[in-house]
Amino acid sequence: MPRMQTFPDLLKSLWQRIGSMSLAIILLVVLAIASVIGTVLLQNQNQADYLQQFGPLWYWVFRSLGLFDMYQTWWFMSILGFLMVSLTSCLWRNVPKMLKDMRTRKAAVAEKSLKHFKYLHDWQMQDVDADQLQQSFRQRLQGWEFRQVEQDGVQYLRADKGRWNKWGYILVHSAILVVLVGGWIGSEYGFRGNMAVPEGSSEHEISFLQGTETGHLSMPFEVRCNSFSIDFFPTGAPKEFLSNLTIIDHGKEVLTSDIIVNEPLYYKGVRIYQSSFGDGGSDITFKMFHMDGSETITTAKTKVYQSWKDEKTGLSIKVTDFKPYNVENMANPGEVIDFQDLGPAVVYELRGPDLKPVKIKAFMNPFIDPKGKNQGSFMMVSLTGDKADYKPVSLGLDLTNPVEWKLFHAFMRQLAIVDKASKDANLTAFKTAMKEVFGAGKRPERMQDVAMRTLQAVNMLSALPWPMLPMLGDFEQHYYTGLQLAMDPGMNVVWFGSAMLVIGLCIMLYMPHRKLWLIIHPESKGLHITLAGMTNRNHLIFDQVFNDMFTQLDQDFRQNT
Amino acid sequence: MTATIAEPELSTLLYQGRWAWLRFNAYIGAMLGIAGMAMFGVGAYEENAFLYQILSMKGVMWGGTGALAGCGLAVVASTMKPVLLDAKMARNITPWLDGFVLMVILAAIWALFEPAQSQITYEDQSNLFAGRIIMAMNVIFIFSAVSYIAYLFAPESFIGRLATWTAYTGVFLGGSALLLRWHESYLFDMEIGHAPVSNLYEVFILLFCITAAVYLALEKRYEAKAMGAFVLSLVSAGVFFGIWLDSVGQSDIKPLVPALQSYWMKIHVPMNFVGYGSFAVACGAGMAYLVRHRLEAAGGTSKMLAIFPSLDQLDQLAYKAVAIGFPAFTLATILGAAWAAEAWGGYWSWDPKETWALIVWLIYGAYLHARVSHGWHGKALAWWAVAGFLITVFCFLGVNMYLSGLHSYGRLS
Repeated sequence: MPRMQTFPDLLKSLWQRIGSMSLAIILLVVLAIASVIGTVLLQNQNQADYLQQFGPLWYWVFRSLGLFDMYQTWWFMSILGFLMVSLTSCLWRNVPKMLKDMRTRKAAVAEKSLKHFKYLHDWQMQDVDADQLQQSFRQRLQGWEFRQVEQDGVQYLRADKGRWNKWGYILVHSAILVVLVGGWIGSEYGFRGNMAVPEGSSEHEISFLQGTETGHLSMPFEVRCNSFSIDFFPTGAPKEFLSNLTIIDHGKEVLTSDIIVNEPLYYKGVRIYQSSFGDGGSDITFKMFHMDGSETITTAKTKVYQSWKDEKTGLSIKVTDFKPYNVENMANPGEVIDFQDLGPAVVYELRGPDLKPVKIKAFMNPFIDPKGKNQGSFMMVSLTGDKADYKPVSLGLDLTNPVEWKLFHAFMRQLAIVDKASKDANLTAFKTAMKEVFGAGKRPERMQDVAMRTLQAVNMLSALPWPMLPMLGDFEQHYYTGLQLAMDPGMNVVWFGSAMLVIGLCIMLYMPHRKLWLIIHPESKGLHITLAGMTNRNHLIFDQVFNDMFTQLDQDFRQNT
Repeated sequence: MTATIAEPELSTLLYQGRWAWLRFNAYIGAMLGIAGMAMFGVGAYEENAFLYQILSMKGVMWGGTGALAGCGLAVVASTMKPVLLDAKMARNITPWLDGFVLMVILAAIWALFEPAQSQITYEDQSNLFAGRIIMAMNVIFIFSAVSYIAYLFAPESFIGRLATWTAYTGVFLGGSALLLRWHESYLFDMEIGHAPVSNLYEVFILLFCITAAVYLALEKRYEAKAMGAFVLSLVSAGVFFGIWLDSVGQSDIKPLVPALQSYWMKIHVPMNFVGYGSFAVACGAGMAYLVRHRLEAAGGTSKMLAIFPSLDQLDQLAYKAVAIGFPAFTLATILGAAWAAEAWGGYWSWDPKETWALIVWLIYGAYLHARVSHGWHGKALAWWAVAGFLITVFCFLGVNMYLSGLHSYGRLS
């Protein structure tokens, strides 16, 4: 009858299984495969996007498995935890054995175990002094450690190199544990979050994603952004983002410093990084072009993220963004990319009674085409509010030039008067309007362009449904600087573990433990010599070492005799 | 495959004993000197002009002092402990450093052929000299691959030696072209200048050179020439990809985005490619193993078998390459984490590139475990080395092309 396994026995065998090599390989591969998921599935995105992408069924399946933030889920953590348990078990079982192995080096080898040696040579020699032979063996192995013993008339000489190799193994495996513990300390006692500080203001709270929700945490100090600036390369690409920050601790200014990407600020264990930037509520002045034919231009002052409302018409503007540079690809599809800066632009939502709300990006400057021709002011209009639905709307007139606005109205008035049936109605009306605006015989520069634009505006402007056309008149820009604040008390533990890992790997892979034995049996007719060797790594080189040793010993003493 | 015992006199003199030991320490000293300058020198480390800081009087002083100190210490140490003269480290590493010095000299010579400053424009970079050397390198590497394959069929002919020599030439051309490119990046504008490891095209050249160099080192030490056909074929495949990148305008020198402006880039990226390159060599050894296995299974009469290393040796060679690559890759990943801690606010963000680096690391970690445990040898591990490299390629290329994340500057634009 098979013996029943007692519970402690079961635990013991389980403990050994957990630390076994095959489980280690399985765990590593499982961890690798599990990690893939999070790289294919974008993490921590908007839940609505996920829902749209996968449909309700898969969305809920993925969500309940935590796949949208999978590196924090219980099951991923369990794999890591299991890896730690396995490592601990493996170390627990092997380290004492290894330490003992490294300490005790028995010089003598039993005849039986010799047979299992991979590297083995037996040969006979006459008239050779055993001492001399051993001397020669020692000389050829500079830097090796020796041990010698005589047992039953047989002389054993053992040489060791790299006998601390097992320390490499111990270091590497405990390093992984240390790194994981460091990571755990960081996630348990550390934090990492973002704060946006507009120029001139201060902030003390960070926000961060917590699963599907946003968490907030108050810092023990305040951060004030004195200024933010962008530096450009001669090619126009951004070169440096720089924030000048002041730390305010309990109402006292304690530290003022510049930070850039790659050079964070360190205060009270918290690192402050430059991570992004955006508009921090720039002052915006709109020029409102009244579309009622009254030729009126008024101004409206507001700020980014604020709203402005016209009492009379009920038109409201909500400014959402402002950018001083707008580099756009001006090439037609299929052509070589051609980036151009279109100048400052403001983005706003336009609402009003009986109006379909729209999102508009209005540019301050008229569009000058590559030939240098003024194509008039323009804007991008999105009926859905989605960036992808922006359609360019060319307004015809160059609205930065008040004369054109005037000329347009004069032209409209003349058009109403002239005989519509006449062939030259447009021309006559335009000529009269010109005279009205500029006086007889005078004409603006680039007359032809102005005429073209005015004609175009007749169609375009009258098609717009809005009572007023808000264009960007003036601005004073204020940025906000996007900072990331992080504290990680486990970081140094991780670095310590990393150093252990690299050092351990080098010892493990590059300092193999090599053992050589020279065993001399005195026989009636001379000496029976055995050269035996063993290594745990890098057999290719050891093969050479071993064979060289044999040939050299053999040659030396054959010549001598 | 026995030790190369009968080597020419000159190389014995150069690479063994006193001279190698002295040079080794001088190089180490010079490197520490330059690192010291970057960390503690007045004016410290200037991101925009580090190349010229090294080449300036100040750099020469720091580096030279370091080299002299290294030499001095070497002399003292070796008098006290003569065993050091036989130090394997010096013998194995000095040739690499010598090769690097030769690349610097070559790059300095190439620099003489640059077009006049007035001819150099940022918009049209086609007249720069590095591009021509890279094209020469491309041709040479492909030629070398063809020669290595020809060698399999004609082992006695000179073609084998030709293959090795062209591979060396390719490494030196590629390395010196990269150094020249570093210099060229400053020719447009001092602000644009940066180390030539900032985009896919540049790191590809680095990868070819490192892969070929690691392979050549193994070839020299273990006479495993038959493996060259596989490794150099991998390199050639990469060369074609590089030519394609060039043809779609990815080879232009562009200014660095703010996130990349750090000394970490100069350490982290090359170290990573030591890992990738070694894994490529391991893949080559694995492929050679599988081919030999197939040939043996087919009856073992093929003449090719005579020049192939034995199965056991190929197995060991794949391991050897992984043993070079794995610590380098580990260190590179740790350096990347250190950089992330300084630039992104955390050493690990589970960014796709990071995660894939971890996956590669786990796969090769499992490879090393599988080797130590019994039963896993030979064919299975050869497949593992090949598959591991495919995963490495995905980590290197696929992540940039298909997945988004913080490493998006490696993207094709």
